[in-house]
Amino acid sequence: MVNSEQPNGKNENATRRSASQWAVAWRRFKKHKSGLFGLGMIVILVFIAVFHSFIAPYPPGSLDPLYEGEAGQPPSWKHPFGTTIGGSDVYSELIHGSVWTLYVAIIATVIAMLITMVVGISSGYLGGYIDDILMRITEVFLVFPSLLLILVFSRIYQLMNPEPFWKFLGISIPVNLTTIVLIVALFAWAGNARVIRGEVMALKEKEFIQAAKSLGASSRWIMLRHILPNVLPQTIVIATLTMASAVLIEAVVSFLGFGDINTNTWGRMMEESFQYMSTTWWAEVFPGLAVFLTVLAFNLVGDGISDALNPRLRE
Amino acid sequence: MSMNLLEIENLKTYFFTEAGVVKALDGVTFNVEKGCTIGLVGESGSGKSVTAQSVLRIVPRPGRIVGGKILFNGEDILAKKESEMRSYRGKKISLIFQDPTSSLNPVFTIGNQLSDIVMQHNRVKKDEAAEAVVKALKLVKLPDPEEALTRYPHQFSGGMKQRICIARALLLNPDLLFADEPTTNLDVTIQAQIIALLVDLQKNIGLTLVMITHDMGIVTQMCKCVVVLYAGKVMEIGSIEKIFEMPHPYTEALLKAVPRLDQTRKLISIPGNIPNLIEPPSGCRFHPRCQYAVERCKEEVPPLQDVGGGHMISCHRWRELNGG
Amino acid sequence: MGLVKYVIRRLLYMIPLILGISIVVFLVMYAAGDPIQIATAGNPSITEAQRQFLRQYYGLDDPLHVQYFRWLDHFLHLDFGMSLYGGKPVNEIIATYFWETLKLQLVSILLAFAISIPIGVYSAVKQRSIFDYLFSGISIAGISFPVFFLGIVFILVFSFQLGLLPSSGAHGAPKLWPVFGIEHPLLDELVHLAMPATVLTLASLAYNTRLLRAGMLEVMRQDYIMAARASGIPEKKILFKYALKNAIMPLITLLGLSIGFAIGGAPATETVFSWPGLGRAYVTAAQRLDFPLIMGITMIITIMILVANLITDISYASIDPRVSIE
Repeated sequence: MVNSEQPNGKNENATRRSASQWAVAWRRFKKHKSGLFGLGMIVILVFIAVFHSFIAPYPPGSLDPLYEGEAGQPPSWKHPFGTTIGGSDVYSELIHGSVWTLYVAIIATVIAMLITMVVGISSGYLGGYIDDILMRITEVFLVFPSLLLILVFSRIYQLMNPEPFWKFLGISIPVNLTTIVLIVALFAWAGNARVIRGEVMALKEKEFIQAAKSLGASSRWIMLRHILPNVLPQTIVIATLTMASAVLIEAVVSFLGFGDINTNTWGRMMEESFQYMSTTWWAEVFPGLAVFLTVLAFNLVGDGISDALNPRLRE
Repeated sequence: MSMNLLEIENLKTYFFTEAGVVKALDGVTFNVEKGCTIGLVGESGSGKSVTAQSVLRIVPRPGRIVGGKILFNGEDILAKKESEMRSYRGKKISLIFQDPTSSLNPVFTIGNQLSDIVMQHNRVKKDEAAEAVVKALKLVKLPDPEEALTRYPHQFSGGMKQRICIARALLLNPDLLFADEPTTNLDVTIQAQIIALLVDLQKNIGLTLVMITHDMGIVTQMCKCVVVLYAGKVMEIGSIEKIFEMPHPYTEALLKAVPRLDQTRKLISIPGNIPNLIEPPSGCRFHPRCQYAVERCKEEVPPLQDVGGGHMISCHRWRELNGG
Repeated sequence: MGLVKYVIRRLLYMIPLILGISIVVFLVMYAAGDPIQIATAGNPSITEAQRQFLRQYYGLDDPLHVQYFRWLDHFLHLDFGMSLYGGKPVNEIIATYFWETLKLQLVSILLAFAISIPIGVYSAVKQRSIFDYLFSGISIAGISFPVFFLGIVFILVFSFQLGLLPSSGAHGAPKLWPVFGIEHPLLDELVHLAMPATVLTLASLAYNTRLLRAGMLEVMRQDYIMAARASGIPEKKILFKYALKNAIMPLITLLGLSIGFAIGGAPATETVFSWPGLGRAYVTAAQRLDFPLIMGITMIITIMILVANLITDISYASIDPRVSIE
């Protein structure tokens, strides 16, 4: 604000972010209370997911409360979030479900971000007919009523009766949930790719890119070594927000009855309890709150990072 | 009775940022004589624009005027109520910005934005306001002023936009006009036209003009008197002649940085950067970059002293350097 | 003249987009397998001959491209064929649900737009005040709160706990819902609309205020705002005339987009409230893989989105003189 006399020329040397600039951003982020709060919640979520089998009092899918005659019970010391009509412990199921929440968030985001970056950077940097083609495709994805198609896809896949799990390095991967995640990712990149493309187009005109070009660096080298690191901050913000929306969409898809019946995600828990919610509201409300808090955590972190990277907006 | 239209005394304007308190103006004192053109000179960040904003009391957040006195026509501006102050802005004191493109609202027609100002200050109807706008546009020699009313800012070139901005500032015949680097963002040929226009207007309507600039060339062309600011402090005040003859070390450095066709000497830039105003240098604020600095400059703040004939200098060594 | 040309050009430009999307959806459904098999799987008494008859009846035994062109031909005559369930024409089904969805969506979109303006402007002006922190907090919570879950909470509180509002449907059937003892069709309609509309309004309100606050913060830093201040324009006028017209652009875009998407309804929210709209119809169609209905609804939504985009662009150009539609 003080230097209002010369708006240009000040930002020139800020375009290449060095390690110290990341340190500055981190210092700013640390001051961002709600961002830190969100980060704290994510750390707790990861902790719960990693140690879910030790934390949860009942194993996944356990119907022990039913056999103990405790089905459909309101929250108590024994069952902090109550039990479902079907006789499972809501608290335990929520803890086990956290694994799927993180699975959805991470896989969907990794794939969506890969497409985002490849399309955004090549479209923005290469321009020409590549840009034209990629942007036309992006437009199709933007106007597509994606949630509706996700539902159809999931339903078709459900009906194909695939094997419930794949074994990969000794880990069971739920096939149906993975398909849903892939479809969610397939519809989560278009808007973001446009944002990255815009950033790249602005960067392309900067001196250090022009310099690298005039020194004979190849397009691929420039894109990987110069463009990518410079759009990374923006990318991190987008990725965090994508995680939030992936968790949200999976919850909706599952709630509507299009989820993977072999995985008890929070959305599926809400679906199963929906028709009984006038009696067992706890079985509906606690999974809902879990989805809310997770999405909130990702959004808060995303906000925090973007504020830390654009201090201008906060003065 | 003083002849001064504007008297600024020990003005302090600070910006309370997250990083700390930026002392943009830290005890600035100078006067502006009625009907005179003075130059307010300094590098970026020296506090020139903030001075103008302080006089109008439109310092943007998180900035605040924390001390000092501003007398306009003998009246204490800082003591006025906000509503009273608003009737001064645009009517008695005006401001022209550096970038005409960003200082015109892009989504309203010229006629709309400019008549608003007329109607704000004078109780007139729409068409009367429009007439006043046309008159002002004619004054700044904008072609087709009537047609300009219905057009949007982006339909004009940079030079034309700056003319419109000048017209906006002159709509209500203000007594005092701040021109904040009005030519910096324009092409060289357009610059000359705008300067000529300002000189003309100043002569014809008896305006008091404060020319804010970092360009000593413009100052010599337009101003009788110069105030040199550095890092929120006044370094030197004096007539053009005095300042060229026996300048403050900082002014001297500024003058050496001006390219001139009639001299073949080397251009010398001032080493170093303008200091951080959160923790400004001790003593004389210019000492870290001053080629004449001695130990005393680091320790003691030099007072702004009259060295004869209204020439004010804030320097420990000026007298000995100038053979005094 | 320019406008007409522009609209025609944009409409022509939509054709490949619409064709592309219809082909993609068609292919997806073809990949799904035999819809008749799926539709009749639960019926043990059906014979293979009857299935074959059904396939022939719906033209499902023709080669893919023949099926597609037949669909396209019907589509160009605005005929989406017959639903696989209940034997009703798709057009009729869409027409039934269309107005219910539109009513709900328009009410909430326009309410959210109107309410967000004072809140967004005020938060930006009072940046870092308690008010700003409060509303920023509420709005980030708002965008994180799953809309359908908000609906569930509303039902739990206002229907099950307090018994104030009906939990489902758009009309009281067979008996009108009494408001303060008065039974009137209009009151009944309003009472049914209250919860779903509030939920959807709150959801978009959160987005709108965030967008407007950010826009206002950006605009209020511009020189033209300081110039208006330096000319003695009062702060209220600066905010609501000079700044708002600049800051409202992104909100207009969002408004256009949401009206476009509105027709898709909010499948989850409509399901929660058993709202007889297109969103819920689509969920049911997707569950049964009722392809003609899926195709019909998808195409209607796509066209609505494209038209809404076009209207947005035109209104954008009328607000921002720098944007030209030539």
